[in-house]
Amino acid sequence: MPTCTDPASPMNAAGYASRRVTKPPNWHELVAFDMLFNNMTTGLFVVAAAGDLVSRPAFGPLTRLAYPMALLFLTIDLACLVLDLGHRFRFHHMLRVFKPSSPMSLGTWCLTAYSIPLGLLSTIEVLEMAGIREIPAWMRLASITTGIPFAMGAAMYKGVLFSTTSQPGWKDSRWLGGYLTNSAIAIGCAELLAIADLAGQGPVRAIRTSLLALLAINLGFLATLIVELRPAIRTLKGGHRLDLMLTLGAALGVWVPAILILVSGTMPTIASAIIDGIGMVLVLAGNFLVRRSIVMLPHHENDDGIVARWDGGS
Amino acid sequence: MNARELEISAIPEPAETPSGPVATILGPFLPVVRPEPRTPTGFYTDTTVCIGCKACEVACKQWNQLPSDGLNWSGDSYDNTQALSATSWRHVKFIEQFASAGADAPSRWLMMSDVCKHCSAAPCQHACPTGAIIYNEFSNVYIQPDICNGCAYCIAACPFGVITRSDLDGHAHKCTLCYDRQRDGLIPACAKACPTASIQFGPIDELRDRAHRRIEELNSRGTPSAYLYGEAPTATYSELHSFYLLVDRPSTYGLPESPFNPWLRMRGDYLRSLLGGLAAIVAMILVWTLRMP
Repeated sequence: MPTCTDPASPMNAAGYASRRVTKPPNWHELVAFDMLFNNMTTGLFVVAAAGDLVSRPAFGPLTRLAYPMALLFLTIDLACLVLDLGHRFRFHHMLRVFKPSSPMSLGTWCLTAYSIPLGLLSTIEVLEMAGIREIPAWMRLASITTGIPFAMGAAMYKGVLFSTTSQPGWKDSRWLGGYLTNSAIAIGCAELLAIADLAGQGPVRAIRTSLLALLAINLGFLATLIVELRPAIRTLKGGHRLDLMLTLGAALGVWVPAILILVSGTMPTIASAIIDGIGMVLVLAGNFLVRRSIVMLPHHENDDGIVARWDGGS
Repeated sequence: MNARELEISAIPEPAETPSGPVATILGPFLPVVRPEPRTPTGFYTDTTVCIGCKACEVACKQWNQLPSDGLNWSGDSYDNTQALSATSWRHVKFIEQFASAGADAPSRWLMMSDVCKHCSAAPCQHACPTGAIIYNEFSNVYIQPDICNGCAYCIAACPFGVITRSDLDGHAHKCTLCYDRQRDGLIPACAKACPTASIQFGPIDELRDRAHRRIEELNSRGTPSAYLYGEAPTATYSELHSFYLLVDRPSTYGLPESPFNPWLRMRGDYLRSLLGGLAAIVAMILVWTLRMP
């Protein structure tokens, strides 16, 4: 059987077989932050809007703060997107066409469409807080109902954008979109809990219990995602670090906050508010770690170092 | 050599573009006049006759005015280009297969000129959110750099690692299949420069016929391992308008063994995303309903 004369040579009988064919896009931390802020704004909006629809008297004081905060997170998210593209005019280039076959095009349109009812709701809340005028209830209701599908679309597209690529790991993660959308709602719930604690109003206990339920469901989605990503991670140089980051993300983003929230329910108001706040920060930190690990996955080199030998042709 | 150049008189005149201030303002909103579809064209690369001269690389750079990538010795045989990039739209690959003493199979040196595959259902074209990547009238995948916003989604989508974003202008670039030359009835610079007709250009159907005849010829001459890569669609990928005649595994040449179009899974991925969101919303509202007075 013929073999390469110098197995240590990078160029031998196996040719390019040990090289990765695909090229990673130059997406780094900024994209991980974009993913997080996307989920922070859409999640908070959807949770607040659901609260408004379920019981306006109970959630009203919270949504007054939630919508302007969601607008702030959306602004940061859009800033991340524009900065990542490298030029301030490049984002709106995506609005010159509507192309549903491209998750990025669909997401851009969803984000843009979502910004309108969110902006309107934030304006309504700020005007009402300032006591300038009473806004008709139908306007709020219309903004909420039109905003929810676009917010959901904006939360959903990001995972599909990554999974419909040819990059190692991403292409195998069928549940990435499911995980991200699910965690957006969990993040939104954690944010609403922090707002409720800060405002000292609203159905804090109900929100706390719902956050526990959401974290439990989210853990299922995250576990599925990690199982899907693991085969690709194992082939990477430094894959064990990536694996550790994902595990740490799961611990920080789900397990520890869940324990803290369980504990905070038995504590006096101020102490529980502080613990809830810490829990929310951990949820965000854990979710960022998971997103960063996913974004950086294709930037890791293959770990094989194995150069196969020619077996006389295929 | 079967490559030929078309008669310039046979090329239809482009439609007159409206001008003036009204056209300037309304231009982007007016319906565009698409060029009439022409016979789909592409490349057929017969790797068995490639001699690794890199004339295709040079011709491509010269015609498309692409800058040098620097003179770096890679240590990988004669492959100092290393990869397709924003400034290298052709890349000649070298695979040295030297038999050890006493081996049955002979030594051989495989060479292949790599290029954009101009997939007939290109993932990069699906991915592009700005409409910068289009199929032109020759059914070639073409990037309009002035429209590209540099999002790099096409880079992530391409299963062949072809497209690259330029550090100079921030736009994605790749082989245009010499669109400008084709419009003028000329064959692409690389095919024109290839001294052995390893790179052949022409109507796709004609190229396929030619490739099949070549396979039969090689088989009859004692090369049973010769086969065509990308000439026909598979269950997971469309046919390529730049296809190859190979004599070893695709991975040996740096090609995916069985390319997969990620868009085949898009609908399911959206459904799972929706499921993830709905599961959370339903659970949350259920808890609120139960826990709230």
